[in-house]
Amino acid sequence: MKTLGTRTPLQVTWNVWEGLFLREAVARLSADRIAWIWLVAEPIAHVALLVWLRTIMGRIKIIPGADFIPWLVVGITLFIMFRNQLNRGMEAINANKSLFAYRQVLPVDTVLIRCGLEGLLSSVVVVLMLFGFSAVGYDMTPHRPLGSLLIWVTVLCFGLGVALILSTAVTIAQELSKFIRMAMFPLYFLSGIMIPVKYFPRELQEYLLYNPVLHGVELIRLGYFEYYRVVDGISYTYLLLWTTVSLTLGFLLQMRFSTRLVAK
Amino acid sequence: MIEVQNLYKRYHGPFGGDWVLRNVNFTIPRNVSVGLVGKNGAGKSTLLRIIGGMDVPDRGLVRKDCRVSWPIGLGGGLQGSMTGRQNVKFVARIQGGGHRIPEIIQLVQDFAEIGKAFDQPVKTYSSGMRSRLAFGLSFAFDFDVYISDEATAVGDASFKAKAKKAFRDRVGQSSLIMVSHQTGILKDLCQAGIWINDGEAVWFDDVHDAIKSYHKSIGK
Repeated sequence: MKTLGTRTPLQVTWNVWEGLFLREAVARLSADRIAWIWLVAEPIAHVALLVWLRTIMGRIKIIPGADFIPWLVVGITLFIMFRNQLNRGMEAINANKSLFAYRQVLPVDTVLIRCGLEGLLSSVVVVLMLFGFSAVGYDMTPHRPLGSLLIWVTVLCFGLGVALILSTAVTIAQELSKFIRMAMFPLYFLSGIMIPVKYFPRELQEYLLYNPVLHGVELIRLGYFEYYRVVDGISYTYLLLWTTVSLTLGFLLQMRFSTRLVAK
Repeated sequence: MIEVQNLYKRYHGPFGGDWVLRNVNFTIPRNVSVGLVGKNGAGKSTLLRIIGGMDVPDRGLVRKDCRVSWPIGLGGGLQGSMTGRQNVKFVARIQGGGHRIPEIIQLVQDFAEIGKAFDQPVKTYSSGMRSRLAFGLSFAFDFDVYISDEATAVGDASFKAKAKKAFRDRVGQSSLIMVSHQTGILKDLCQAGIWINDGEAVWFDDVHDAIKSYHKSIGK
């Protein structure tokens, strides 16, 4: 009644998302003095480090069907998006606890907005990287642009799903975040970011293929490079399965524990 | 009207304990302001949080047919790294006032009177300034029921007078549910009272009686 009028639930959600999004964006980009430049600098630093590692190791030969640097850039940006969604989305509920004083704000909103913002920022960064690297002479034109875009969006949804699950877990049992962070560390090496999975022994590949992130990383490269060859067993269906299951489970958990997540 | 029925509440987690509220029942009629009294740790703030929809009871229910505010003067919802203006914009947006942001900002600025600090990060504010900003923010929106948890405790004399006036101006349009240990302000602003004792709530039609029972129980 009165000046504000009554809003429908959909309007309330939209208003909350709008407010949260702008708030998160400002906080993310002005967290410290280099927050905004770090978005672009981090993937470039990764590429530089890996190129340097490769020159001293010298053992990783040429990547069949792809240029080394574009191959790295495509994989790393995808992985960093996934990792940031997890790390930041996981803490979204805890970090915004004081906002639940405004009862319009639900825990799930904070996770959705954080992951959405991470996805958007990473998408801007990847476009900048692609233009940047083509400006210095690398061929960054995707062979199948729509296919690559599809994988990008799928991994974005996958990250959101996992973040929804982990944020529930971490908010209910704070201690879990320690274990999750530790588990994230080997993921970088197990996802074929640095060394192509092709170079691993056959028996090991079998196990590595359980990791859905590896599927995402290899598939986006497959979409990107015309003559790229992936390991047998890489499948979009597998990635999609993980995405669907994690999103469903994530939303279910958020619904089941919605009151526990708000309550002190 | 706010109706509380068979309400039970306890806190969970590693530090959770016994029942804070046990079988609480009362009805607050429209346009009646209520003062909550009771010892420290009696469950006043808990009850207020449940009425405001910030926490959920373990059993029982709260039925509301009016717009209830967030706790007046709540500083916790302010993001330290953002300016006062940015914080006001955020709250305006989630409350559905996105189209009248300039008007809300003007209202808050007039009430808070913190000058240039309005465009500085909230973490640089003193507690009094925070409270001024938070108060202004609460009064920039029209609610049927305002809830207040010791909101007038901080702030200088002029600010206290201003806050009291803001409450008084709203008598007739909106009511108040407040927790305070300053019995003066309770007598000033409230008609009815609730005394919370041992997890149970006792309703008094006159706030004076509630204060009397409370004082008797602590031997004053």
